[in-house]
Amino acid sequence: MVSRASDSSSKSRQSNDGLGNLTYKLNQLKKQVQAERVVSVKDKIEKNRKKIENDISQLLSTTSRKSVIFAMDNGFGNMPLCKYSGFPQGLGDRDYVNSHEVVLSTSSKLSHVQKIPPYTTWIFLDKNQRMAEDQSVVGRRRIYYDQHGSEALVCSDSEEDIIEPEEEKHEFSDGEDRILWTVFEEHGLGEEVINAVSQFIGIATSEVQDRYSTLKEKYDGKNLKEFEDAGHERGIALEKSLSAALDSFDNLFCRRCLLFDCRLHGCSQTLINPSEKQPYWSEYEDDRKPCSNHCYLQAFSLSLSLSAAVQDTVEGSAGNISSIITNTEGTLLHCNAEVPGAHSDIMAGERCNSKRVLPVTSEAVDSSEVAIGNENTDTSMQSLGKRKALELNDSVKVFDEIEESLNKKQKKLLPLDVLTASSDGIPRPDTKSGHHVGAINDNELQMTSKNTIKKSVSAKVVSHNNIEHNIMDGAKDVNKEPEMKQSFSKGELPEGVLCSSEWKPIEKELYLKGVEIFGRNSCLIARNLLSGLKTCMEVSTYMRDSSSSMPHKSVAPSSFLEETVKVDTDYAEQEMPARPRLLRRRGRARKLKYSWKSAGHPSIWKRIADGKNQSCKQYTPCGCQSMCGKQCPCLHNGTCCEKYCGCSKSCKNRFRGCHCAKSQCRSRQCPCFAAGRECDPDVCRNCWVSCGDGSLGEPPKRGDGQCGNMRLLLRQQQRILLAKSDVAGWGAFLKNSVSKNDYLGEYTGELISHREADKRGKIYDRANSSFLFDLNDQYVLDAYRKGDKLKFANHSSNPNCFAKVMLVAGDHRVGIFAKEHIEASEELFYDYRYGPDQAPAWARKPEGSKREDSSVSQGRAKKHQSH
Amino acid sequence: MARTAIGCEPLVGSLTPSKKREYRVTNKLQEGKRPLYAVVFNFIDSRYFNVFATVGGNRVTVYQCLEGGVIAALQSYVDEDKEESFYTVSWACNVDGIPFLVAGGINGIIRVIDVSNEKLHKDESVRLWNVQTGICILIFAGAGGHRNEVLSVDFHPSDIYRIASCGMDNTVKIWSMKEFWTYVEKSFTWTDLPSKFPTKYVQFPVFIASVHSNYVDCNRWLGDFILSKSVDNEIVLWEPKMKEQSPGEGTADILQKYPVPECDIWFIKFSCDFHYNAAAIGNREGKIFVWELQSSPPVLIARLSHAQSKSPIRQTAMSYDGSTILSCCEDGAIWRWDAIPT
Repeated sequence: MVSRASDSSSKSRQSNDGLGNLTYKLNQLKKQVQAERVVSVKDKIEKNRKKIENDISQLLSTTSRKSVIFAMDNGFGNMPLCKYSGFPQGLGDRDYVNSHEVVLSTSSKLSHVQKIPPYTTWIFLDKNQRMAEDQSVVGRRRIYYDQHGSEALVCSDSEEDIIEPEEEKHEFSDGEDRILWTVFEEHGLGEEVINAVSQFIGIATSEVQDRYSTLKEKYDGKNLKEFEDAGHERGIALEKSLSAALDSFDNLFCRRCLLFDCRLHGCSQTLINPSEKQPYWSEYEDDRKPCSNHCYLQAFSLSLSLSAAVQDTVEGSAGNISSIITNTEGTLLHCNAEVPGAHSDIMAGERCNSKRVLPVTSEAVDSSEVAIGNENTDTSMQSLGKRKALELNDSVKVFDEIEESLNKKQKKLLPLDVLTASSDGIPRPDTKSGHHVGAINDNELQMTSKNTIKKSVSAKVVSHNNIEHNIMDGAKDVNKEPEMKQSFSKGELPEGVLCSSEWKPIEKELYLKGVEIFGRNSCLIARNLLSGLKTCMEVSTYMRDSSSSMPHKSVAPSSFLEETVKVDTDYAEQEMPARPRLLRRRGRARKLKYSWKSAGHPSIWKRIADGKNQSCKQYTPCGCQSMCGKQCPCLHNGTCCEKYCGCSKSCKNRFRGCHCAKSQCRSRQCPCFAAGRECDPDVCRNCWVSCGDGSLGEPPKRGDGQCGNMRLLLRQQQRILLAKSDVAGWGAFLKNSVSKNDYLGEYTGELISHREADKRGKIYDRANSSFLFDLNDQYVLDAYRKGDKLKFANHSSNPNCFAKVMLVAGDHRVGIFAKEHIEASEELFYDYRYGPDQAPAWARKPEGSKREDSSVSQGRAKKHQSH
Repeated sequence: MARTAIGCEPLVGSLTPSKKREYRVTNKLQEGKRPLYAVVFNFIDSRYFNVFATVGGNRVTVYQCLEGGVIAALQSYVDEDKEESFYTVSWACNVDGIPFLVAGGINGIIRVIDVSNEKLHKDESVRLWNVQTGICILIFAGAGGHRNEVLSVDFHPSDIYRIASCGMDNTVKIWSMKEFWTYVEKSFTWTDLPSKFPTKYVQFPVFIASVHSNYVDCNRWLGDFILSKSVDNEIVLWEPKMKEQSPGEGTADILQKYPVPECDIWFIKFSCDFHYNAAAIGNREGKIFVWELQSSPPVLIARLSHAQSKSPIRQTAMSYDGSTILSCCEDGAIWRWDAIPT
């Protein structure tokens, strides 16, 4: 530093000068900006003034027009009640003012109107909602006023929440931007300059620098941006990968409520993938009907008729033929070009096309099939080829890098590259591969392919190495391209080839999803996932090709199932690293959030856990695979695993539902009922939901046949009315009579944390009205701003209703039930179940009745009281 | 308060009176001992521009300002409920243009004396009423609503769909009822019970401004700008700058400030003349400041004070042309000030 200081002593004087200059400049700029501001404000106000003038003149005309129309006096024209003379000349500051006492003998009476109880506007909710961040009162200063003194009274509920004003990011005004820009443009980005500017504006240097770079981008990048924008417009969704496209779905769709933007469970939930895949619906191919004109079954029938003669020599079914064809082709391919999928694409496309369109080509195919069939009879040959292919494949596997790069390239326009590579790589290749392609059409397939196989067997190792080199070198030789095209045109491959071989990444991913969902059913996949993108035939072709591209997996049709799973895993592991990473990150963030919640308020958690009335635990689905071990968060947290967990159905921690006979789930004999849960049609054996009227033999929607323990789930509530209570404030009333234990409705509200509840509770206590309700260890229900009419039900120590927290499909909800028979239009009361020292004065019982209080069952819900 | 960025500074008016106009006390009435919370001139009907109303306690009184400082009491209404304490009064009219008085107070009951129009509740919502038919048309509350009691509401002078409200949650909110206007129209022809009217909730304001850090107790539109005051000894004129894409968000550009010393208690409301040329506001010590609203920077027209006026002035009223200023005080007095003719 010292040396530097001395070193730059000469400089520093200069820079001091510069700095002085700079300060001057800055002040100049500031003055300029401020002057402009004054002018702009003046302008604005002047403009506004004109507008007001205009408005006023309109107003004036309305007011004066009235006087024309209603010349009749109505009200004020009567004799005044009284006149008080004033001081026409006005008085000075110190002159004594004699005030007139206004005593009016006649005054009209405003008749008494009954006061309505205090009421705060609220929003109806038919299901609970988690509190949105911006609704929190924590950390916000709340001002009260003294009801009697009527003066403002700044009042913070506790000293701890004196808010530290957050270091907000400075928002740069246009003026500051200008100063920044001008100064830096003129004086450069020297340290002194930055310091001076940051001091001048009064913010951190880093922010100044950041701002400058954003400004620079803004000014310099304008053209660039426009250019990019144009590019963006062209890009369509198909260019995205499936995971990117599904990202918003995964983020916004709630898999528990089956709706988007769920207000109960929130966005960006941790994705739980069930470890047990649902078996997909499979059909025998023979039974299928063609799904469309482009169905692969159509193609089969065609090829069947064409190759009827050959068929006998091969095994019976069309499917087998095709798979064998594929295999053989695959094998040929391997021997020839050393690359599985790429070439088969060509051939597949060719075959596909030929089958579909041209009789000539179909002849060719026919013959090719014959050829292959012949080859097939020549079993030794075939098995040789197959073995070779396997070997090859193994050796290919050794070169992971190649495979990967091949895979990647495959996705694009791969036949080209690969062929180029092979033709480069193999000593006598150009003629061969060209020859080969041509050969198919020249009905000389048989011989050639045999030759090819033989030759390429010998050439195997060599070519393999060569390929490696070529690909490593970034092999795409531009010069070869025209040649390739030539060979294509020679092969008379119509445009269909390109089309079908051009599977966009998203289409491939959709296809794989389809396999996951529907199995290898190209009809369903094409219709449901790729409609408008690919026909059934294309899907089927792709399916065959992709299975042949992994020959070691595609041996037997029976192993398809297993194979697809493997494909999936392979797929996930190799080609889609982005998705799992994304998921992992999201998962972690969420956990952090929770741990923050729990770590932040250990006392509150403790309070509940220690108390004898154990409150329920909030359920969060676990992502365990297969069985839940000791690590399972559900187990750890003390909740059962539910149907939303990832674990298998046989998990020991799962709640298994009930096996009650029909309509018997109304007592503690039903395990669901006893556990404070509603039955779940997905879990319980005999509790099922029907939506019909019984005409099809199913149980009617409501009535005896149906499980009686799904009333919250099915929303079988009573009509509640709101009116002035007979006791205090507002009250909830019942419209129709109900019998004991009938479900009346749900007490809905905002789900807030206990911390939030304590804070809000203090506010509500001041107003002496609280709608808080303890739900479980994580959440309190608050119906103050959002809820339903049941929030108005009053407290009574001798109530006719009771509240009960039920676990409904993994969520805790508060149901209000009849404690006894209730007549129509009776007011509803339930015991808020305040803790002994929590009850507000009006809810406290006389001393004598305390015992009764504690003897009431503990399973019932209680109102929240803040501490 | 955040530091103002360079180039966004408001123009602050000087407290030196320009003496463009001078006012003298011409009358003083004493209406009992209870505080008078509101005094309002009638701007609805041009024949009665000199008529004003006051509320205090359970009483609503209508007066007329006559020549020579004379004040005539015209009518008086007394609520039978002695507990009622009216906080506010406003002029309205029915569809035929007949002026009505609307008063509201502690009981949460809106008294419509002869009438038709809108008012606020002691509630955390703003409600739009059609008082001719007694229908509550719209309730401005919900997720984006006020979080504490609402203190003041004003209609936009030319855009009938737009209202601004402010309250004890320190914010000023601008609401639009454009999408709900059909309900307003419907309310005039509603023949069924008022309680059966499909009252709509307007949950999200179009704009929320946190210009103040304390109660906002008065706000008025000044053209497209908003005048509002809190307990910071000043009235603030600001421009709401809305972002088109994201409703509810935006910034407030504070253009001008009109200082009012000793005005640090809440529920002191200002008033403007019909033309919005001037605003008058009282303070805690019984003084009145008259500001020229539409000059830039703001100019103080006059500072009115009298040795006997010591009680906090709750509200002022400026007459149609600004020549008369009334003030009603905590101690139940009404002062009349008249401009000295030049």
